Amino acid sequence: MGEKITLASQWLESCAGCHMSLLDIDAKIVELLKYVELSSTPITDLKHPPKEGVDVGILSGGIGNEDELEEAKLMRERCKILIAMGDCAVTGGVCTMRNFFTKEEVLRRAYIESESTVDGEIPVHEDLTPLTDMVTGVGDVVPVDIYLPGCPPSAEAIWFVLSELLEGRMPKLEGKVLKYGMDGG
Amino acid sequence: MSEVQLTINGQKVVAQSGQTILEAAQAADIDIPTLCYHPALTAWGACRMCLVEVKGMRGLQTSCTCPVADGMDVQTESDAAVEVRKFVLELLFAERNHYCMFCQMSGDCELQDMAYRYGLDHFTYPRPYDKLPIDASRKYFIMDQNRCILCMRCVRACSEIAANHTLNVRERGSKSMIMADLNVPFGDSTCTECGTCLQVCPTGALIDARSAYGGREKDVTHTETTCMQCSIGCALDVVTRYNRLLRVDGVWDSEPSGGLLCVDGRFKPLYDNRKRVTAPMVRRDGKLVESGWDEALGAVAEQLKSGTSQGLAACATTNETLDAFTKLFSKVNGEAGLLEPVAPALGYGTAAKLSDILEADFVVVAGAQPLDYQRVVGYFIHRAGDNGAQIAVITDSQNKLSERADMTVSYADTDKVVKAAADAEKVVLVYSVGAKGKIEAAFRELGDNLSYLALSPGRNQKGATAEGLKPAEPNGAATQYFLMGEQAEDPALLEKLNGAFTVVQASYISPLVERADVVLPAPVWYERAGHVTNIEGDVKAVNQVLPMPEGVRDDAVVLAALIDLLQ
Repeated sequence: MGEKITLASQWLESCAGCHMSLLDIDAKIVELLKYVELSSTPITDLKHPPKEGVDVGILSGGIGNEDELEEAKLMRERCKILIAMGDCAVTGGVCTMRNFFTKEEVLRRAYIESESTVDGEIPVHEDLTPLTDMVTGVGDVVPVDIYLPGCPPSAEAIWFVLSELLEGRMPKLEGKVLKYGMDGG
Repeated sequence: MSEVQLTINGQKVVAQSGQTILEAAQAADIDIPTLCYHPALTAWGACRMCLVEVKGMRGLQTSCTCPVADGMDVQTESDAAVEVRKFVLELLFAERNHYCMFCQMSGDCELQDMAYRYGLDHFTYPRPYDKLPIDASRKYFIMDQNRCILCMRCVRACSEIAANHTLNVRERGSKSMIMADLNVPFGDSTCTECGTCLQVCPTGALIDARSAYGGREKDVTHTETTCMQCSIGCALDVVTRYNRLLRVDGVWDSEPSGGLLCVDGRFKPLYDNRKRVTAPMVRRDGKLVESGWDEALGAVAEQLKSGTSQGLAACATTNETLDAFTKLFSKVNGEAGLLEPVAPALGYGTAAKLSDILEADFVVVAGAQPLDYQRVVGYFIHRAGDNGAQIAVITDSQNKLSERADMTVSYADTDKVVKAAADAEKVVLVYSVGAKGKIEAAFRELGDNLSYLALSPGRNQKGATAEGLKPAEPNGAATQYFLMGEQAEDPALLEKLNGAFTVVQASYISPLVERADVVLPAPVWYERAGHVTNIEGDVKAVNQVLPMPEGVRDDAVVLAALIDLLQ
């Protein structure tokens, strides 16, 4: 392995479980940092990938609003290899449950009809990003190089993908590192 | 049948003519992927997963339906076959909701296995988000159309194994949907909840309400045992986890029913909420109070030593227990009998096996109501009808089998049935306790062409009969009665006990238990170990699935302890 590679990540419409699984690689994260320079991540100060770009970008979560769409496009522009990490990034995942309803129905259910709400209203503000019509996977809005499914993908699968990239190979997922949902969990 | 030589993946394989490529490959340990194929069902060739390349044949062949031929050269994982399988899988995943993350079958799903096998790491095609119906109108299992891949296993199981023909498909193409009858809710349909469709479903489309999310195949324990809910004695595969009953499956290729079960064997026993008897009890100052085993058994032994005793068994128990029961009463010179009536042997013809029903060209049902009490026999008779056998019902009241029978007559017209069956090559006569006397003379003339199946209400009736136990009721002369086993509530029986000292060995609290002077707790079906004798007279193992609650002892062990106390 040669020079350190740079890595940025972002979570979109996601429960953060995929990033938890990333941290689950445990002590290997120390080894990873020998070869990888962490750039922007949800848990570091830098929130967006730098203009000069990174080698590897990781996106978890689906695309469910305009902001997530912009984040996905930005990451795609600024990384050489884009990984869609987790079932939501790969297929839209659990978030696609709202695709069975219109946006209006979803907002009404959440902000007005939910059992715990009294006198609710649907919030409208210029700072609030509008929902997309449908929740999709990342691959439906920008080209993805590596799909890493799982809810979440196991730490082992994440480590496999990163270590293959460090070795200069495009990872081919099969066997116990190719799992959907909680299978194997 | 003749031998056929062919090559599969370069390997020389010897097969039998008439076998399919898939069967030949399986026999040679060559794995061809399948989805709609199920060994218990007729091959369908619908899902296209088992496509293989056969040299010289145009296109790819469905190996589950393509018969072998001499000199065939088959490639199961050729580039063309693999490419098409992947394409089929991509289309299947695009069609409906195949998100594994919230599916109870994830980890045990055959569709998922195929996707893993062919390395699908994302959906290739966008999917429509049609809201398809979920039908939870049945108590025990749910149909989620969103997970269905239209493999037709359920439809085939319903018509070929259960012979119930409830399930079918409506619409065409991408609108195709499994439906019950003429598209009514499953709970309002002719479905008998035998659960065979549930067992064969390869995805999460059919969901067992009790065991869903309860554990994956890798987490659960399987125990094979014999069903004790009626006298048939079907083989059960009981699925458990953490000492909890999750589910009951049928055992394919097992005797006597070949894997077919009914609602009484598969589902109902898992929902039994009756209160258990969990400790021995004795009556003190007019009240039943918990006691230790020593005190209870001592009290019973004291009683048995004096006066006259009568033992009455409900035969929902093992041969070992019935044997100990017989020995105990022979020891005290008491009468031992059965609480249930017995349908006696015919006296001519041969005893039928269940499979004889399927091979018969004429089936007579006299008095017996198998669709209510020995349902699997009823389903077998339906299957015989589907195979082209004539079905005749003899009854003076109603019989559900009449609906699909060729003729239904009263006992007075039994001769009409005998006449209709005269030309048949193989006649099976199924009769109940009360019917035998009314029909035995009339059918004698059918001679060797006739075999019979006598349906008795007692569960291990064959085992009890082998022990020499005969139907009896409280004889009025005994000063104490010993009642063993689970029986239907019977106020008349309570009356006949007439205030005599009564020992009840039972699993559940009942009016009989509450009236007893001594109560001895007994295990339930999944706690027993031993043997039962099934409807065909074969002795089958009953294996303990879960441990007995503390305080409960096996009834055979308890009876042996009583015999010891009498030494």
